[in-house]
Amino acid sequence: MITLDLELKDVPGELIRALTPISNMGVNIFSVIHLREKKTDGRVPVRVVINDIDNELLTNVINKLEEMDIVITKVNETIRKTDIDIVVVGHVVDTDVRDTIDRLNKYGIVVDLDLSMPDPFKESSARMKVIIETDKLKDFCNELDKISKEKNLLFIKSF
Amino acid sequence: MKIILVGFGVIGKGVAKVIESKKEYLKSKYGMDLKVVAICDRSGSAIDENGLDLKTALKIKEETGKIINYPEKGTNLSIIETIRSIDADAIVEATPTNIETGEPAKTHIIEAFKSGKHVITANKGPLALYFKELMDCATKHDRIFRYEASVGGAMPIINLARDTLAGNEIKEIKGILNGTTNYILTKMEKEKLDFDTVLKEAQELGIAETNPHQDISGLDTAAKIVILANSIMNKNVSIKDVKVEGITRITPEALTMANKSGYTIKLIGEVNKNKLEVSPKLIPIDDPMNVKGSLNVAMLNTDLAKEVVVVGRGAGDIETSSAILSDIISVYLRIKNE
Repeated sequence: MITLDLELKDVPGELIRALTPISNMGVNIFSVIHLREKKTDGRVPVRVVINDIDNELLTNVINKLEEMDIVITKVNETIRKTDIDIVVVGHVVDTDVRDTIDRLNKYGIVVDLDLSMPDPFKESSARMKVIIETDKLKDFCNELDKISKEKNLLFIKSF
Repeated sequence: MKIILVGFGVIGKGVAKVIESKKEYLKSKYGMDLKVVAICDRSGSAIDENGLDLKTALKIKEETGKIINYPEKGTNLSIIETIRSIDADAIVEATPTNIETGEPAKTHIIEAFKSGKHVITANKGPLALYFKELMDCATKHDRIFRYEASVGGAMPIINLARDTLAGNEIKEIKGILNGTTNYILTKMEKEKLDFDTVLKEAQELGIAETNPHQDISGLDTAAKIVILANSIMNKNVSIKDVKVEGITRITPEALTMANKSGYTIKLIGEVNKNKLEVSPKLIPIDDPMNVKGSLNVAMLNTDLAKEVVVVGRGAGDIETSSAILSDIISVYLRIKNE
């Protein structure tokens, strides 16, 4: 048996949309379990248990799902993607926020940026969520350190 | 059992109060007749091989600030001379911490080992800077060295990992180890006040020191995470190896941002195979690590028992002295059986 942990958008029909291609590729679905409470950004974690298939078919299934914008966070025990949250303190916008995001996007995907600027001359705060493959985490951290030094930004991480 | 109390400030006095209040309990539960045969501070030492009267010692210190004024037993013998010449089983080293040099505590500890005495301490300085050297010195002189009170105050951590979790491999330690900064962050979050305002209030309440630098810069947490890394995870690191970021840049807006995503911000000390750092981190609001006020918390990630979390009071004279008493009892039980 193979377990796939997926994160689906919380809209009607999303579960059927995710299961259909799996079934169409000839894979048997044994069970579908909702893992825990809805995540704070509105995505729903779901565990799908399927029969044993060879690596090639498994890769095809994963690719098809990712094409459809479905996030696969775990395959069996291997954590593929994780989402991390970061709160940033500093002159976030004035230090070229576009550049900061572009640099981080090289390692993961920055989703959900929220900005708070109490006073144009004081430091501001931002929060962002980044979806990232776990094997890119170390390089991502190194890039955060670099940006932090260059732009005098404080990154408060959730990991 | 005879001990020398080195340092008679907040912690030293706390130890005296605790021993005095637990005299009968120690005798009936452990058969221990605990005598403080000398108390030293900067003015000199009070010495009585039959055991000083602790109530008198506390009174003299309160009234005159100098232990040398203890009636009849006060001398101007220095701390080092007292450690070397007075017969005792152990010293309790409770002088103020110096995180830059570790002195004079380091010298006191080494002199104690050399003169055949075991050492119990709450002092972070020498442990954060010279851990291996002190452990080697203890081994060389075949002496017991206990320092539960140096990290987390009353919160059990070092002895918990070593004794109760024996057999487990500790892969990671993460914690809130400084009560002052935890108090500040908790207050900032709850009342949406800025850092400087809350710091001032904390100083007025005595929760933050007049010079709060060590706490708010993260250095205090760094010293403690180094002690944990060396004693529990067998590393050989010093405070200079820690990547440190304090809380001075945290704003109420940052805390609100964190709350929006379901987190709070805490100053976390962390050690694992690849990391040795102190920095503000996002902690999920319903995580057991989210403790409020000036409490401390530590999470030990072990191979068998998985995650073990302890919460307790990280500071306070009586609270910290409880950890020192626990170590005194532990030394007593070991030497009794030898």
